[in-house]
Amino acid sequence: MYQLLKRKSRGDVWFDIINNILLTLVMLLVLFPLYFVLIASFSDPNYIYSGEVWLFPKGFTLDGYERIFSDSSIWIGYVNSILYATLGTIIGVAVTVFAAYPLARKNLVGKSVIMWFLMITMFFSGGLIPTYLLIKDLHMLNTIWALVIPGAGGVFNVIIVRTFFQSSIPDEMWEAASIDGCSNTRFFWSIVLPLSKSILAVMVLYHVVGFWNGFFDALIYLNDENKYPLQLVLRNILVQNQVNSGMMIDVESYAAKMRVTELIKYGVIIVSSLPLLILYPFLQKYFVKGVMIGSIKG
Amino acid sequence: MKSLFKKAGILVLAGAFVLSGCSENGNGSKKQESSPVQNTNFNKTGLPIVNNTVTLRMVSPKAALAPEFSEMEIFKRLEKETNIKIKWENIPDTDYAEKKNLLLASGDLPDAFYAAGFTDYELINYGKDGTIIPLEDLIDQYAPNLKALFERRPDIKSSITAPDGHIYGLPSWEDNNLGTNPFFHVINKSWLDKLGLKVPQTLDEYTEALLAFKTQDPNDNGKQDEIPLSFMHMQWCMDIAGIFGAFGLPDNLEHRVVRDGKVIFTANQPEYKEALKYFHEKWYKQGLIDPESFTQDAAQYLAKGKTTDETLGSYIWWEIDEVVGTERSKDYVLLSPLKGPNGGQTIGRANGGGPGRGAFVITKENKNPEITMRWIDQQYEPYMAAQIHWGPLDVVFEKDESGKLVNLPVPDGISAGEFRQKVAPGSGGPGVITFEDFGKIVDMELRAQQRAKDLEQYYNPYMEKENYPSIFFEPEELDKINKIEPELIKYVNTQRAKFIVDGGVNEQWDNYVKTLEKMGLNDLMEIYQTGLDRYNENLKNK
Repeated sequence: MYQLLKRKSRGDVWFDIINNILLTLVMLLVLFPLYFVLIASFSDPNYIYSGEVWLFPKGFTLDGYERIFSDSSIWIGYVNSILYATLGTIIGVAVTVFAAYPLARKNLVGKSVIMWFLMITMFFSGGLIPTYLLIKDLHMLNTIWALVIPGAGGVFNVIIVRTFFQSSIPDEMWEAASIDGCSNTRFFWSIVLPLSKSILAVMVLYHVVGFWNGFFDALIYLNDENKYPLQLVLRNILVQNQVNSGMMIDVESYAAKMRVTELIKYGVIIVSSLPLLILYPFLQKYFVKGVMIGSIKG
Repeated sequence: MKSLFKKAGILVLAGAFVLSGCSENGNGSKKQESSPVQNTNFNKTGLPIVNNTVTLRMVSPKAALAPEFSEMEIFKRLEKETNIKIKWENIPDTDYAEKKNLLLASGDLPDAFYAAGFTDYELINYGKDGTIIPLEDLIDQYAPNLKALFERRPDIKSSITAPDGHIYGLPSWEDNNLGTNPFFHVINKSWLDKLGLKVPQTLDEYTEALLAFKTQDPNDNGKQDEIPLSFMHMQWCMDIAGIFGAFGLPDNLEHRVVRDGKVIFTANQPEYKEALKYFHEKWYKQGLIDPESFTQDAAQYLAKGKTTDETLGSYIWWEIDEVVGTERSKDYVLLSPLKGPNGGQTIGRANGGGPGRGAFVITKENKNPEITMRWIDQQYEPYMAAQIHWGPLDVVFEKDESGKLVNLPVPDGISAGEFRQKVAPGSGGPGVITFEDFGKIVDMELRAQQRAKDLEQYYNPYMEKENYPSIFFEPEELDKINKIEPELIKYVNTQRAKFIVDGGVNEQWDNYVKTLEKMGLNDLMEIYQTGLDRYNENLKNK
């Protein structure tokens, strides 16, 4: 240890020390809010508001979680969310990759026209009402398809994946394979996809997060509560307990409701983000690599 | 090549615009289908309304965790009686406005909107373009309960009638007067006793009491943690607007009061100025106002009443209990309006408060308006109206010997408000419970009864005679109001906080008043005055 320190100049040592202190502070800044949400979800809301909770839960209570989990729609929501996220991710990633690969190949005819059309959709959208009408006319209202189909194949993702293909799958590889009699399909399945695990992982993560956190489409297109995804269910629990000051007479349970809202607010954050927190470490190692290569124009 | 793409792109875009434009027109211009002549299936009177089941599609908001209306006991009973099946599309109430607009704009219309919450603006505009149909003829022919109600209470009919003479939406109202003064002013009686002070009668005594709270450690914990006065600036029932009455002119959230049929804007009157001066000099400067009063939300506010040591000296809320909890509430008492330095002593009367106008609308897609009207009219029968608003017989109510609906005990582990949400559409639903109905047909809940008593004892003797009723404006008037008012009120409220916190009323007052005029205050007041005159005229003619 002493040896190590000795090799550095006094300035270096100070630099390291200050650096470490600063970084630790920054880390605490980032971590504390997360930690606070966790302990707050176990604390009595009155203590949270009087600022007495900051390092340990105070007035320990499981009321919030009890409240959240006593609601059977939570479990329905979980199941639905997993279903939507899985199906939506499969469709979305498939569409993205199938669109991106041909666009990455030099010999695709009319490549720039297709790109041009795709790009337009990035800047102009139909707007809420026409989109709603379209979904309605396609008879997708109140079905799972309204959630997983319209958003499949985002152009932004297509561009990232296309760039990744362009930069990491050299043309020579295709030439070599085709000389050996490899078909386009075979090349795609046996060579391109296995070489693109990192970008696939990134796409999976993007889509899963998107579907997991999305509630607006469900809000607009779904009528049947048994089809609601988790985020919408949680939102409903939260707003149901939110107090509406317009209701002049129903104030009776104002305070009680307020307390429940505060209680479950933090619990809901934990419950809804847990699956992603679990998923993220498994995909994280691909993450930096995939996005970096994908986003650098080839 | 490039320019070709450009041209193609422009064409595509132009096409898209044309298409989207077309589809909207297509829906808008669809003619209202004349309702087919009713066959023998429809009974003009009596029950069931139809012999063979008819299904209607209705969109309605509901409390987020309440069951679908089709599973609610009250609607099951209605279906059995009337033979009309409702295909409910329930939307969590917080998202309702958004989805309602989407349905209306996209022309994806149900037969009717239930507990519809249509604004005046929507009633008039959608009434004008035919999206929702006028109801007065249907009421005349098929709605005996509504007709009886209108005969009993012409004011209800006149207040739901649009300026163009049509009725587009049906009323919803619990006519109970509980909201006349939302600002219940509470003081810590046990602290007063401890400090040897009597319950303040005048503003100056009150200020002395607050000062004593601050300086003499009435909670005996050796710390100066007492909050003499906490409130929530310009919020529903938590503002100090009522205390302005000590200077002769009470304030309210709209800054608008009525005296002798004249609309007065409070926030540029001399009384208001005096009040602000007083609050800054005597209260804020001496640290008697909780500085968080201007920023806190209800959760923070409520937490202040429940700290380990009692810290709250005085506060404003709908009632005593909720802020400090039932345990501590015995330490606190209500304050009657205080007598001001110049002898003023009055409390405001909340504006509006008439019947809701948009509780039920029928759309042009409805092929059975008569059936629909007869179905909804069932819910204007007073007993039924009560059940729609609070919950069904045998679940929430039972009938006593005189036939009055009285509350059954609420099941364990759930608050009354929450329970009622799950068994009935609630206070936004159709149905009118008039003032005479309370006590005769349905019992007020215990806490509402208490509130009525408190109002009677503490506030009614000092209350303003008039308020600004809920008036159905012309669309142009609404446009103007919407253009001027939000900005103006925002400015007034910001300035009000500034004057209380930073002072400077004397120096900045003229400038402030001039700015208000520049923002269109006079136009705004003129519209309100015109509206009020028209309303009074209508009542006289009835």
